[in-house]
Parts: sequence; structure tokens; C-alpha cells
Amino acid sequence: MDNWVIALIKVVFIWTWTLLIATLMTWVERRGSAMMQDRLGPNRAGPFGLFQPLADGIKLFTKEDIIPEKAHKILFSLGPILFALPAFSAYAVIPFGDKLIVNGKEIILQVADVNVGFLYVVALGAMAVYGIVLGGWGSNNKYSILGGLRSTAQLISYEVPFGLSLLAVVLVYGTFSLREISLVQQGTFLGFLPNWGIFKQPLGFILFIVTAYAEANRVPFDLPEAESEIVAGYHTEYGSMRLGLYLFGEYVNMYTLAALMVTLYFGAWHLPYIDMSKFLGPVSYGIASFLVFFLKTAFFLWLFVWVRWTVPRFRYDQVMGLGWKALIPLALVNLFITALCIQLTV
Amino acid sequence: MAKPVVKKEYTFLERIYLWEIVKGLKLTFKHFTFNFKESLKKGPHTVPTCWQYPEDRRPIAPVFRGAHMLCLDDEGRELCVGCGMCARACPAKCITVKRGKPAEGEEGKYAGKTMSAEFTIDMLRCIFCGFCEEACPKGAIQLGQEYELAEYTMDACIYDKERLLANFQKAKAEGKLKPPKKPVPVAGGDKKAGAKKVAKKPVATDGKKSKKAASKPQAEEKKASETKREET
Ligand code: SF4
Ligand code: SF4
Repeated sequence: MDNWVIALIKVVFIWTWTLLIATLMTWVERRGSAMMQDRLGPNRAGPFGLFQPLADGIKLFTKEDIIPEKAHKILFSLGPILFALPAFSAYAVIPFGDKLIVNGKEIILQVADVNVGFLYVVALGAMAVYGIVLGGWGSNNKYSILGGLRSTAQLISYEVPFGLSLLAVVLVYGTFSLREISLVQQGTFLGFLPNWGIFKQPLGFILFIVTAYAEANRVPFDLPEAESEIVAGYHTEYGSMRLGLYLFGEYVNMYTLAALMVTLYFGAWHLPYIDMSKFLGPVSYGIASFLVFFLKTAFFLWLFVWVRWTVPRFRYDQVMGLGWKALIPLALVNLFITALCIQLTV
Repeated sequence: MAKPVVKKEYTFLERIYLWEIVKGLKLTFKHFTFNFKESLKKGPHTVPTCWQYPEDRRPIAPVFRGAHMLCLDDEGRELCVGCGMCARACPAKCITVKRGKPAEGEEGKYAGKTMSAEFTIDMLRCIFCGFCEEACPKGAIQLGQEYELAEYTMDACIYDKERLLANFQKAKAEGKLKPPKKPVPVAGGDKKAGAKKVAKKPVATDGKKSKKAASKPQAEEKKASETKREET
């Protein structure tokens, strides 16, 4: 009974938290981009324009829900749901802190410590593409279909290096559980570096971050929705809250991927050289680990925005070329070297 | 002739993108931090590239052509004589003037022997060309500095005489009256006369300037004729 309540609280907390972060990210994205382009961005609603996402949400909710006459009704309405659902559920297996001890009960700051957590995230990430493809197909619109097709073509070129770079991480840590991976990143590596994944898998991290941008459909790999080429790609025909789900799902995806980066490569909730659990009380340690984890994640979220407003979009064939001719061979090499090192050291 | 296409060989660093992306990130970050710091400053017009319109207003030229006003002279008498020259000059046909005689005992209110009994400008049609101002023989109608002319009803956009006079009072109170017109050069371009006039002026009014003018009369004259040419 108790466990159920705790699990429920964790689920509700992480849901509201991701929603909050995703909402906030839309604001950060708009104001951050504005500052980079010497503009000011939305600064009228509330202090610093912070209520802008709220206003946008209200607008999206109150707008008329239009399904185009020639669209495939079922696929059209299924698209956004299939896109947003995996995005929302993917965070379940990613930790958001170490543990909290309340009344002698240990609460792990993670919704579910699944022992194949890794595969779960990858599988759900691939699921999201169905949402895009179905939405694009169901809209019965040239641009939407183009967006959907681009998404599939992009998927087959980045999903392989994505998986391979993750596999190298699994080789290093010898486990699929994201919590265990986070736990072993304590301490130092080679005596002077923090024991973080990035120092063991530098190439793997670069491969991962590049493919993660493709996974999240972010610039420079935002081909499915390339505004300047195919109107808005797969969500050209969408409006009101259906569009809202697509846009929102993108930010939730970003948050999940950023958290994954932190978990795998940046020592999760560990600070370099400092063991927080030694001098903090059980409750304050839980909160501190949550904050450290979140701050690291926030940096990567910001990096998503930052890169978006710096880099132009890759051309369609360039993405394929990059995926097949550069990323996959590199990922294989990385995997091989990792396997070799492990063989030699064990 | 078409330019031959020179295919640039990219270096290794350029071909792996990453380093170039880092360079780009540095550039955007510079802009970001600069604008971020500026936007935290207090006061209007903080970010140099942005004018936050209702709070920040750009200074406008004194000869700006905004909402019209009907001017009074220094003794507070209406200058307009109701001749209708402005209505004739107006390309948009938006001025309606009716000439009238001042009522008994009210002659002191008007500068001329006649006055405009009715004077309306349809601001919905006005194109702010300023022809009315040029046509007026008395300098009675002028285009002011006001440019926020939106109204909720169309009727409110048709300015009557009271409103036009009120515009003048407001501009006077805010010190936004137009500077006196520069002398219009006489047609035919009597260059010497014009130049002399300008050159003479400082001699008559300002002792200090006159010395300067005397020392460099040639240059002064040249300048004057130049400005004159620009005007014409
Ligand atoms: S404003 Fe000037 S031109 Fe127009 S009626 Fe009056 S005096 Fe004549
Ligand atoms: S500014 Fe031009 S259009 Fe407007 S009232 Fe004067 S003459 Fe007519």
C-alpha cells in the first residue's frame, strides 16, 4: 500500500515537473533565441514574459479543432497522441536524483528502476516517429507527407549510431539499469578525472549528442518540420491542442534526452570530487542530488536551444551521408575499441 | 561572363563540423550575454537594437508631418481666413472649409477680416502630404508631431475645428511647434542675392559671428549657395 502511494507521488511529481520544464523551455527558447538575434522576444505577459507559455496554452486550448476534410480521420487524430505519449512515458526509467530517506524509508528518486531501462528509452524514442509519420500521412497533404517521409529516412540513418553509441556505454558499465549506471559514476577515474561516462566514452558522447539532436528533431536535424522548405512538415495541417501536443512532445523529448545525457555521460547526480552523501542529511542529500541532476540537465536543455539558433539545417542528403558514412562507422569503431579495452583490462 | 565556380577545399576541421559549430556557439553566446546584460538595465530603450515602442519613442524630426493643427498667432487670434486654398491643394480632397464673417463683437478673435465658419479634415483620407500647409497663404494650417491617430470609430477620425485648434494648444504647451520656415528661394534662382542675404545676416545680428563671416566671406558664400541649391 505504502509503496503504491509513493509510486503515485513520484509519477505525479515527475509528470508535473516535466510539464513545467517543457512549458518553461518554450519561453527559454523564444527569449533565448531573441537575445541571440539581438531582439527581445515575448516580454509582455507577466514578469520577463514568463506567463507567455500560459497564454499560448490557453490560446491553443480555446482554438477551433479542425480536421481537414480529406484527411484520414483516425490517423490524423492518432498522430499527436502517438507522438506525445512515448515522450511523456520515456522519463519513467530515468532517475532524477539519488534517494530520499523519510521516516527510515528509502525512496529512490526514479519512477521505476527497470533493469532494461535502457532499451525502454530507445524503444519509446523510436515509437515517437510513428506519431510523425502517421500525422504526416493522415493529413493528406504534400508537405505533411514529405515531413513524415523525411522523418523515416532520418530515423534509419540516426537510430543505428544512436543504438551503437549506447551499446558502448552498456559495455563499459555492464548493466542496462540507468540507476546502476548512475551509481557507479561516483569517485574518480584514472586518479584525477571524475568517474564520469564522458571520460570513458568521449567519442561515444559526441555520437550520442549528435544522434540525440536528430532523435529530438532539433536543428540541425529538424528536417521533418523544416519551416523554410516544407511549410511546417508533418504538422502543417494541425491546429489547436493537437498541434500543442506535437510542440509540447518535442520539448518533453528534449528533456528526456538531456536527462539521459546527464545520466550516461555526466555523472548523474554526482558532483566531481565531492561526495555529497558524506556531509548532508538524508533528506537534504535527496534534494541536493535532485538539484545537481536538474542543473546538469538544464545545461543540456540550454545547449539544445543554443545550437538551434546557431547552426543552419542540414540538407536531406547530407543527413543521410552523415549518418551512414560518418556516424555508423565511427560508432562501430567506438564499439570495437571499447570492447577491446574491456577485454584487455578485465 | 559568368564567374567560374571555384570549389573550395574544406579543411579537416571544417569537414567534421564540430569545431565550426563551437565557433558559431561562441558567436551566438557573445550576442546573448550582451543583450541579456543590456536588457537587465533599468530604464527605457535598454537593448540597443530594439525600440520598445510604447515606452521608447524615437525622436522625430521637427518638420515631421503628423496630425494637423490650426494655428493661432501670438495674440491668440485664429490665423485662418477661410480662403479654401488648402482644400484646393489637397490631393485627397479631405478638407472642407466654409468661409464666414466673424460674428458681431467677435472680430478680435480672428486675425483676418474673414474666418472659417466650418473646417473639417477627414483624417481617414489624408495622406499627410503636407500640401495644405504649403498652400496656406496665412500659415494657418500646419502638420504637427502627433502620430498616434487610431480611433475606435470612423466619426472620431474626422477632425473638426475645435479639435484642430486643441491640437495647436497641445503642441504649444508641449513646445512642439514647428520651427519657422526657412525663406523659400525665389524662383529663377537669383543666386547672388540669396547668398548675400545669408551672408549679411550674421553681420547685422551678431558681432562675434560677423568677424568670422568677414574673415571667411568666400567660404560662407559658397556654403550658402550650396544649401540653397539643396533646397531648390
Ligand atoms: S487654413 Fe489656410 S488655406 Fe486653409 S482656409 Fe484657412 S487660411 Fe485658407
Ligand atoms: S496633408 Fe495632404 S492629404 Fe492631408 S489634408 Fe493636407 S493636403 Fe490633404
